[in-house]
Amino acid sequence: MIPQRATIVGAGGLGGPIALSLGAAGVELVIADHDEVELSNLHRQIQFTDKDLGQPKAERLAAQVVARGGRARGVTGAWTARSADALAADADLVIDASDDPATKFSVADWALAAGRCYVIAAALRYGGNVMVGAPGAACYRCLFEEPVEAPSCADAGVLGPVVGAIGGVAAAVGLALVRGDRSLAGSILVFEDLRRAVDPRIVRFAPRSGCPACARALVSPGAAPVRVAEVQ
Amino acid sequence: MPSIRVPSALRSFTGGNSDVEVAASTVREALAELEHRYPGIGAKLLDHGAVKPFIRIFVGPDDIGGLSGLDTQLAERDEVAIVPAIAGGRDIPPVDRDA
Repeated sequence: MIPQRATIVGAGGLGGPIALSLGAAGVELVIADHDEVELSNLHRQIQFTDKDLGQPKAERLAAQVVARGGRARGVTGAWTARSADALAADADLVIDASDDPATKFSVADWALAAGRCYVIAAALRYGGNVMVGAPGAACYRCLFEEPVEAPSCADAGVLGPVVGAIGGVAAAVGLALVRGDRSLAGSILVFEDLRRAVDPRIVRFAPRSGCPACARALVSPGAAPVRVAEVQ
Repeated sequence: MPSIRVPSALRSFTGGNSDVEVAASTVREALAELEHRYPGIGAKLLDHGAVKPFIRIFVGPDDIGGLSGLDTQLAERDEVAIVPAIAGGRDIPPVDRDA
């Protein structure tokens, strides 16, 4: 059986549960993050301990995956248009677990252009969103046109356990994607407030006319989704 | 009466209310009513009368972009959901700011 491969962008509160879950499921991982572990991270990035302080997040998280029998490589560096090919060339799936709007668009744009499945995860305050993307489906840029002026993310904060829950959902839909289940492609799962309700609002959105990312895609929106092997 | 589901990022405008009932027959009227009751929130959603690029609005499970946009008709029990692009954030301080 050919192992499935995924690249995870971000090794923090979202990236931790995603990497540990996918690694334990046998998915080979590349984990990218430019940051180091800080004391203020520890209560929500529970993959780390005080022994990891000052260490590169990507490498420490990869080591956690390996210690559990998985296969992972940590790369200390940011996802950019320039680094994307090196980070995800072999990936069947790319998951954005960053806290940066521009990175989310960059991951989605690259995945769409390269014909890969992708998941964009985000958490804010008590809830979060998980967007599921695949070739032939409406894309992240169809949903949100551009990374500008997202409402007060940095100021609003996020509750520690929320990132674990949203990360778990992102891992579950990611695992479904690499195993061929694309039933949620072109959808966003919206968790309004996990303290009150755990059922997401699942909304399926339409391709946006004139979407520049879709125009560059190997498979245009509305076409039947194809497997990665068919477009490489 | 239709209701608007306010995302957590914008609840500082609504005094923490997550659901706001509005007397409106279209999405446009619903958002105008929301602005009337909570001044300032409309500027976070609309720009020169159009929905901002990082905001999507749904009536039930349906994106208004695939319906009639802001002129989408609302029925008595429809729920309008505002879904902003979000990107994570820092920790919430020990004191719950929604409380």
